[in-house]
Amino acid sequence: MSRIDPDRVQVILATDCGSTTTKAILIQKIDGVFRQTHRGEAPTTVEEPFADVTMGVLNAVTETQELAGRRLIDADGRIIQPASGDEGCDIYISTSSAGGGLQMMVAGVIRQMTAESAKRAALGAGAIVMDVIAANDKRRPHEQIQRIRELRPDMILVSGGVDGGTTTHVVRLAELIAPAKPRPRFGSEYTLPIIYAGNADAAPLVADVITDGFDLTVVDNLRPVLERENLGPARDAIHDLFLEHVMAHAPGYDKLIQWTDAPIMPTPGAVGNILETIARERGINVVGVDIGGATTDVFSVFDGVFNRTVSANLGMSYSISNVCAEAGMDNILRWVHIPMDARELRNRVKNKMIRPTTIPQSLEALVFEQAVAREALRLAYLQHKEFATTLKGVQRQRTVGDTFSQESSGETIVDNMALNLLVASGGVLSHAPSMRQTAMLLIDAFEPEGFTTLAKDSIFMMPHLGVLAEVHPQASVEVFERDCLIHLGAVAAAAGSGKPGQACFRYQVRGDTLEASGEMRVGDMKLYPLGLGETARVAIQPERGFDFGAGPGRAVERDVEGGTVGLILDARGRPLQVEGGVEGWVRALELYPEGSVA
Amino acid sequence: MTARAYTPGLKVSARTRHRVRRILPIAGDVLVQAGDAVQARQAVAHAFMPGDVTPINMANLLSMPPTDVPDCMLKKEGDRIDVGDVLARTPGIFGLFRSEHTSTVSGTLESISAVTGQVIVRGEPLGVEVRAYLAGRVAEIVPNEGCVIEADAAFVQGIFGIGGEAFGPIRRAAADHADPLTEDRITPDMEGAVIVGGARMTEAAIERARAVGASAIVSGGIDDADIRAFLGYDLGVAITGSENVGLTLIITEGFGDIAMAQRTFDLLASLEGREAAVNGATQIRAGVMRPEIVVPLPDDAAGETAGTSDAGFLETGAPVRIIRDPHFGRIGAVGALPAELHVLESGSKARVLEVRLDSGESVIIPRANVELIEQ
Amino acid sequence: MRRWITASACLVWTTAAAAQVPGGPTGLEAVDYPWDNGTRIQLTWSLSPDDDTLLGYAVRRRLADDPQQTLIDILPPGTSAYTVPDLDPELAYLFAVTAIAQDNTESAPASTLAPVTPSVQAFDGTRLWFMVTLVLFSGAVVVFIRMARTGRDLKVRKIAGLEAVTEAVGRATEMGRSCLYVPGIQDMNDIQTIASMNVLSHVARTAAEYDAKLEVPTSKSLVMTAARETVETAFLSAGRPDAYNPDLIYYVTDEQFGFVAYAQGMMVREKPAACFYLGSFFAESLILAEMGNSIGAIQVAGTAQPAQLPFFVAACDYTLIGEEFFAASAYLSGEPDQMGSLKGQDVGKLIVAVGILAGVGGMTLAAVTGSDLIQSMVDYFTQRMLT
Repeated sequence: MSRIDPDRVQVILATDCGSTTTKAILIQKIDGVFRQTHRGEAPTTVEEPFADVTMGVLNAVTETQELAGRRLIDADGRIIQPASGDEGCDIYISTSSAGGGLQMMVAGVIRQMTAESAKRAALGAGAIVMDVIAANDKRRPHEQIQRIRELRPDMILVSGGVDGGTTTHVVRLAELIAPAKPRPRFGSEYTLPIIYAGNADAAPLVADVITDGFDLTVVDNLRPVLERENLGPARDAIHDLFLEHVMAHAPGYDKLIQWTDAPIMPTPGAVGNILETIARERGINVVGVDIGGATTDVFSVFDGVFNRTVSANLGMSYSISNVCAEAGMDNILRWVHIPMDARELRNRVKNKMIRPTTIPQSLEALVFEQAVAREALRLAYLQHKEFATTLKGVQRQRTVGDTFSQESSGETIVDNMALNLLVASGGVLSHAPSMRQTAMLLIDAFEPEGFTTLAKDSIFMMPHLGVLAEVHPQASVEVFERDCLIHLGAVAAAAGSGKPGQACFRYQVRGDTLEASGEMRVGDMKLYPLGLGETARVAIQPERGFDFGAGPGRAVERDVEGGTVGLILDARGRPLQVEGGVEGWVRALELYPEGSVA
Repeated sequence: MTARAYTPGLKVSARTRHRVRRILPIAGDVLVQAGDAVQARQAVAHAFMPGDVTPINMANLLSMPPTDVPDCMLKKEGDRIDVGDVLARTPGIFGLFRSEHTSTVSGTLESISAVTGQVIVRGEPLGVEVRAYLAGRVAEIVPNEGCVIEADAAFVQGIFGIGGEAFGPIRRAAADHADPLTEDRITPDMEGAVIVGGARMTEAAIERARAVGASAIVSGGIDDADIRAFLGYDLGVAITGSENVGLTLIITEGFGDIAMAQRTFDLLASLEGREAAVNGATQIRAGVMRPEIVVPLPDDAAGETAGTSDAGFLETGAPVRIIRDPHFGRIGAVGALPAELHVLESGSKARVLEVRLDSGESVIIPRANVELIEQ
Repeated sequence: MRRWITASACLVWTTAAAAQVPGGPTGLEAVDYPWDNGTRIQLTWSLSPDDDTLLGYAVRRRLADDPQQTLIDILPPGTSAYTVPDLDPELAYLFAVTAIAQDNTESAPASTLAPVTPSVQAFDGTRLWFMVTLVLFSGAVVVFIRMARTGRDLKVRKIAGLEAVTEAVGRATEMGRSCLYVPGIQDMNDIQTIASMNVLSHVARTAAEYDAKLEVPTSKSLVMTAARETVETAFLSAGRPDAYNPDLIYYVTDEQFGFVAYAQGMMVREKPAACFYLGSFFAESLILAEMGNSIGAIQVAGTAQPAQLPFFVAACDYTLIGEEFFAASAYLSGEPDQMGSLKGQDVGKLIVAVGILAGVGGMTLAAVTGSDLIQSMVDYFTQRMLT
C-alpha cells in the first residue's frame, strides 16, 4: 500500500462486495469539495461458478467507468492508480460482507463484564457474534465445549480478567476451546485464529494451552481495569485477522487485498466507522439502522461511545416469520389501519419466508409489510438498548443524599431525548414508495423524543465512506453530508403521557417558506412541508407533564432543517400508545394513497 | 435479444442425470469404489468423531492446590480410562488420610492442567455414517471424505420441507392435484411409503400418517396453523432438516390451501410404486437448499436429460407460477415483458410482466413475484 | 366577728335551702350494656330541675328478689347516664337514682320498674373497627401467602442492592480476588442474622456459579455452623458441590472489636473485591465499610439498625435500608410464607399510610374551614375507628 498525500487526492474509487451485489462508487473533487459522482453495480462473484470476487468488482467498476467516461481499468484488468488526467483513481478501497460476513465466537469470564466487552469489540469490528461463552453462562463445561464444536466460527476472541486479575478462569476458557477443536468453515487446512485480549498475566498460560491447529494472537487487554474498556487493539486485531485468514480463504480476495489502499473491512464495521466519525466531527448523538432480509443492525453513538448490535433473526424476508413469532401477530396488527385476516396473514408471512425475493404488489401487502418492519425495528432497538449500557462491575461513590436513589450500574446509555440524527438504510426503509412512510416507520419504531433529524442512506454508501474515513476523513465527511444522506426532515415529539384529546403543546414555526402556529392535543400528528435545505425556527410550549428536552412543561426553541418529508409534529406521547390512533396518523401524514383509510 | 429476465425456479424433471455429493462431516473412510452400484440405504463412508469431553475439576474434588494436581495423577495424558479407575490420589499425611477420585466416565485422558487443576477426559469416539441416499452408481470418490453418486432419476424440488432424509415407495393418496390430503386418505398399508397428496395436507392427515408409520408426505400446501400444531412451535426461520418428528414433510407450492402443480402431480403419480429418496431439509439463505424427491429410474429407460441449473430466463410464453398475493399460486404463461417501470397498487415502482392465466384472463405482476416452472 | 356573720349568713342560706327537698331525676331507664361480657347495665335518666344546685346523684341497685339497696356510686351534677359495673349476668337487678342536695337531703328516687338482667354478648361491637383493621392486615398476609403457595408470581420491586450482588461477585471474579461476607456480630437468635443467612445463600450461589472465592468470618460459633450449612446447600444447588470449602467459613472471636480488628486485617491483606455486610451491626459498621471503600471493593450492606444506616449509605455502593433487608431476605428465600407476609405487610403499611394521610388531611381541613361535618368525621375516625 502506498502512502497517500490527502491534499493531492482527486479521485477515489470504492467498492462494497455484498453477498449478492458488488457496488462501486466514484468520488471526485469538484470545485474543491469531494462529491460522489457515479456508481455501478454487478452481481457478486464469490461463489461457483466464478469463484473470484474481483470479477464482480471489475464488472461494477466497468459500469462506473462507462457512466463516468473515465478509464479506471487498464488492459490487464487492473485498476489504474494513481490518477493522471482523465484516467484512473488516487485511492481504491473496499469492504466485504460476502460469504456471510465475519462469524465470531467470543469468550470472557463474567458474561456482564469482560465477555460483554469482548462482544462489544467483536460487534464493533463488524462481526456476527454466534455465541458468548462465559464462566457464568449457566452451562456446564461439556455443554460449552459441545457448543463450540457445533458452531464453526471463523475466529474466536478470548478475554477475561482485568490486568493482574484472575488467571484460572481465563485458562479454563482456553482449556474449553483447545479440546473442542472447532472446525472452521473453510476446510481443514485453515488454522483457526484466536485473539487473546484478557489479563496480561495469563497470556503465557493461555499460549501453553492453545497450540496445535490454532493461530493465537495476543493483544492488549480489552478491559485492563473494570472501570475502563480498551477495545481498539482487539478490534484492530480482528480486522487484521479477517484479512489474513478469513478473506485469504475466500476466492479472489488475495488479489483484491493487493489492490486496495486501506485494509478491506467487514461492511458493518465500516458503517459503524462512518457513523462514529460523523458523531465525533459534528459532536452529535447518532443512531443508524440497517434492516435486511435476515438481520437488523443497529448502530449508536451517544456521547462518543459507539455500540453496534446485530439482531440475528429480525429481518424482512428470511426472518420475517421470526419477527411475527417474536413480536406476536397482535403487536403487528396494531399498526394496520385496514382490516386483515390473521390466519391468512400467517400463511402469507410463511410464503414470504420461503420466497424471500417477492415484493408487495397490493396496498394491503405493503401496509402489512411495513407493520412487520415497525416491530422488527422496535425489537432490534430494544435489544440494542439492553446491550448499550454503562460498564458493570464498577465501584460507586455515594453520599448520604443517595439513600433513597441507589441506581444500579449497567443502565442503558441510549437516550432518545439526546438523539440528534436517526439514519435509516435497508430495503424496506429505503425502497418504501413514499418517503413519508420511511419517516413514519422510523418514528413509530424508535420513538425519538424532543427534536430529531431523520435521514436515509441514499444508495447504501455508508460502508464505502467508512473505509474512506480511515484514509481520508475529510473526503468521507464531505461526501457523507452532501451525497450520502437524504434528509427526510425533522420530528419534534413530546415525551410524557396523557389522555387522548388532552392539550399537549403549543407551537410556533417561523421560516422563509413556512409560518405556522397552533396547538396539538395528545394523540395528534401533523406534517408541515419544509423542503430540502430550508430551515425554520420552532418554538414549543409544552403542557405540564410533557417534555421536549428542557424538562416537563418548559419551553424549547430550536432550528430545524427540512427534507423531502418536512417537519413532523408528534403529540402522541412516549411511550407510544398505539391502540386506536393509527387511522388518524395515517390520515394526518397522508401515508397511503387516498381511499385506504376507512 | 428478446425480452428475457433472470428468475429463480423450482426444478421438476421427469428424467435427469442426477448427481449427489455424499460427504462426511470430518475425514474418515470411504467404503465404496468408483463405478460401484449402490442402494439408497447402503453406507458409503464412515468416520469416528472425537468423543464428548468431560472436564473434571480435580483440585476441587481432592481439595488441593491446582499446582499439585499433576503430581497426584495416577494416569498420564493419553492413557485409557474406564469407569471405576482411580484417576488421582493425594499423598496424605505419612501415607494416611489419602483421598482419591475414581472415574465416572470412560475414554482417554486428554489433558491435565496445573493452572486450573482441571483434568479433561475425552469420551469414546462416536461413529458417523453416510448413506448412499441415491440408488445408482458411484461416479467419483473424494478421498477420505466421501463420494459422488450418479443416477438417472426423476427429480422434483419442493419449496419447503421438514425432517431429514427418508426412503420409501411412492403411494398416491389423492385422485387429483387439487384434492386436499385429508385423514381418511391415509390407510394402514401406507407404512414406510412416500405419500403423495394433492392440495393442502391437514394436521389430522399428518398425524395419521405418522401413526401408520409412513416415511414422508408430499403435497401442494400446508396451513401455517397445522404446521405449528404438528411441530409444537412456530417456525422462525426457514432452516429445517434436523427436526426429529417421525416423518418428512415436503410441500411443493407454498403455505395455505393450494393445489399441487398439475405437472408435478402427474409426474409423481406416474412413478407410483417406485422407490424414492426424499429430503425435507430446507435452507433459504445464501446457498439455498430446497427439499427434494428423487426417484431413480432404470438405466435402460429412454428419455430426455436436463442440466442441473435451478434458474432460467423469463421469455414470452414461458410457464410461470405467481408466488405472491394477489393471485398467489396461479399458473400462467408470460405475456408481455414491458421494459419500463410500472407503478403498483402499493405505490412502489417495479419492473413487471404480463401473465396470461390458464383461465384466459391477463394480469400485471411484478417480475419478482413470479417463478419459472422448469421444463 | 365579721367572720362569724359570714358564717352564720351562710348557715342561714343553707338552712333555707335545706328546707327544700331537691327535685328528683325522672325517667330512669336501664338497659343491658351492649357488646359486653354480661357484667354491666347502662342507666339513663333526665336531670333534676335543680341540677345546678345539687351535690350530685346517687345510684343504687338492688336484686329483684331482695329489698336491700346498695349504693353504687355518687355522680357529679349534670350526669344523666351511668354504666353499672360488676354485675352478675345470672341475676336480675332494679335501680334507683336520687338527687342529693348540698345538705345531703335526697330527693325521691327515680326507679326502674322492671328488673333488668345484664346479658352476655359474644362480640364487642365497639371494637368492630379494630376487627376490620385486624382482618385487613392479617387477611392480606394470609391471602398473599396462599397466592404465593399456589405458585402465583408476586412482584417485588427491584432492589438495587440485590441486583448488585452479581455485579460485586463478578468484579471479584474478574479481579481474581475473594468475596467477603460478614453476617453481623449478633447470634442466631437475632432476626437480622437469620435474614442474613438467606442473603448469604444467594451470594454463595452466585459465587459458586462464577467460581469465586467466598470468605465468611463470624463472631459467633452458632452463626458459623449455620453459615456453613447455608453455603454448602447453595453450592450444591448451583451444581458445584466440589467447589465448597468449609474452611473459608470460620469463627473468629465473640469480642466485638477483636472481630473487627481481624476483619480489617484480613481486608488489608487479601483486598477482597466484593464486601457484604448484612446483619446486625453496631460501632463496627463504619470501620468495616470505610476499610472496604479504601481497598476499592464493591460493597453491599444491609441492616435494620437505624443508627448504622447513614454510615453504610455513605461508605457502601449499595445499602439495604431497614425493611428492605428483610424484604430482600424474603425475596431471595423464595418461600411462599415469607413472600406472602412480605406482600401482606406491604398492604398493611399502605393502609396505615393512607390512614395517616386521611387523618392529617381531615384535621387540617376541619381546622381551616371550621366545618362541623368534617370535624365530626374526623372525630369518628380518631375516636371510633382508631380506638
